[in-house]
Amino acid sequence: MSDTKVRALDQGTAPERFARGWHCLGLAERFRDGKPHGIEAFGTKLVVWADTQGEIHVLDGYCRHMGGDLTQGEVKGDEVACPFHDWRWGGDGKCKQIPYARRVPLRARTQRYPVAIRNQQVLVWHDVEGSEPDMDILPPELPGIEEGLYTDWVWESEHIIGSNCRELIDNVVDMAHFYYVHFAFPTSFRNVFEGTQATQFMESKGRPDKTGGYGDAELFLKSEATYYGPSYMINWLDTDYKGFNTEVILFNNHIPTGQDSFLLQYGIIVKKPEGLDDKTANFIAKKYAQMFGEGFLQDVHIWKNKVPVQNPLLCEEDGPVYQLRRWYEQYYVDRADIVPEMVDRFEFEVDTTKANEFWQDEVAENLRKKAEEDAAGESSADEPAEKPQMMSGT
Amino acid sequence: MASFVPTSADTLEDQRLYTSARLVEVACLDCLAKVGVKKNSEHHTSIQWTAEARRHCPELSRRTGARDTFPACPRMIASIEAAVRDGQIPIGAEDGY
Ligand code: FES
Ligand SMILES: [Fe+2]
Repeated sequence: MSDTKVRALDQGTAPERFARGWHCLGLAERFRDGKPHGIEAFGTKLVVWADTQGEIHVLDGYCRHMGGDLTQGEVKGDEVACPFHDWRWGGDGKCKQIPYARRVPLRARTQRYPVAIRNQQVLVWHDVEGSEPDMDILPPELPGIEEGLYTDWVWESEHIIGSNCRELIDNVVDMAHFYYVHFAFPTSFRNVFEGTQATQFMESKGRPDKTGGYGDAELFLKSEATYYGPSYMINWLDTDYKGFNTEVILFNNHIPTGQDSFLLQYGIIVKKPEGLDDKTANFIAKKYAQMFGEGFLQDVHIWKNKVPVQNPLLCEEDGPVYQLRRWYEQYYVDRADIVPEMVDRFEFEVDTTKANEFWQDEVAENLRKKAEEDAAGESSADEPAEKPQMMSGT
Repeated sequence: MASFVPTSADTLEDQRLYTSARLVEVACLDCLAKVGVKKNSEHHTSIQWTAEARRHCPELSRRTGARDTFPACPRMIASIEAAVRDGQIPIGAEDGY
């Protein structure tokens, strides 16, 4: 054994299943328009519709008769009707009626996904073992949303092709990428994993050498981001921009569509600041959404070009990648195979002192160079504008 | 049933190094909880709880809200700091773990 041995990258193999747990399909309102909607998820397509009471139902999108695409059918009464031969499927997964037939075959039952509404969003339960939905581990219902204390939703989605969704999960512990990828400056960084929750606490400020857009060195951010289960993160963000405090909540969630792709969705609401009219508050929410949207794209660019790694090589300043993955593993094994280490409480405080010393110097050097260029008359007009300077959770 | 399957045996050894190597047992000075602690530096702390320790901690058990289970137990933190002052916990990383 020589100590010059080349480190191998273990890319491993992708999982054979999709995570067990609650997955968010989007804002409930969107599905209450009397039409069936198609959502790609878990390697198939789901059909989502609302019945006459406004209750939302989710089934596998392909008709068990001859494989018709239910998402292109119609909502008739409480059921979704297939465009091929008009078989009517109920929210309980049973075929309720075949208008041209004497009777409905007893076996006419399709895959149904149990639904829960949380924070005005539709969540479905997925488990390859076919378990009953676990209502105890639903994400919390946040106070104030129904009561109108927050702005209107800004909701965005982006289909990411070429990456497994674990890349997104890894960001929970990835302190240093906030500086390099998102131009933020994490000054404090901490993780706690326990049960079905994984949390990241971060305090950061904007990088003054990357000005433009919404944030800058005067932007301070306190962020607390928790995954409730494998795919639903609530990120509380308290921002302080030149003494102006804003309370932002980012709902960051995803649905795996294949082993190499996922639909990333994020919704943003902002606590209406006192003394501000709704229009201005909604404008602020839009600005934040735009900033986080750009932030996600920075991640996506990295993901698309990287390889998967099962054996990341860490330095002392890195976060607990292995422990996070150990936690995440609980969603990919049978319930009976969950071991205590996956769910036991684990806390990790990242030492950011060395990183901050180095980054302070680097930023100062960049500012010095920039000042020199400016003095030499080299215009910096071609600088990219609107780069997010704060990004959190991911 | 596997999820992300490593293709090399060395990866399993890495998993062991990063998650369980060098954990020093620290007992809470106020309750019966015992946790595994590692300090790669003055400011770094890694704390591994067990279900049993978690049950013993009155501070963490008291919390039930959506956001309040995350902060550390201040008594456990104080106990760890005391153990560090006593020289019971070696400070320093071994090649990143
Ligand atoms: S395939 Fe759906 S009704 Fe025939
Ligand atoms: Fe990121």
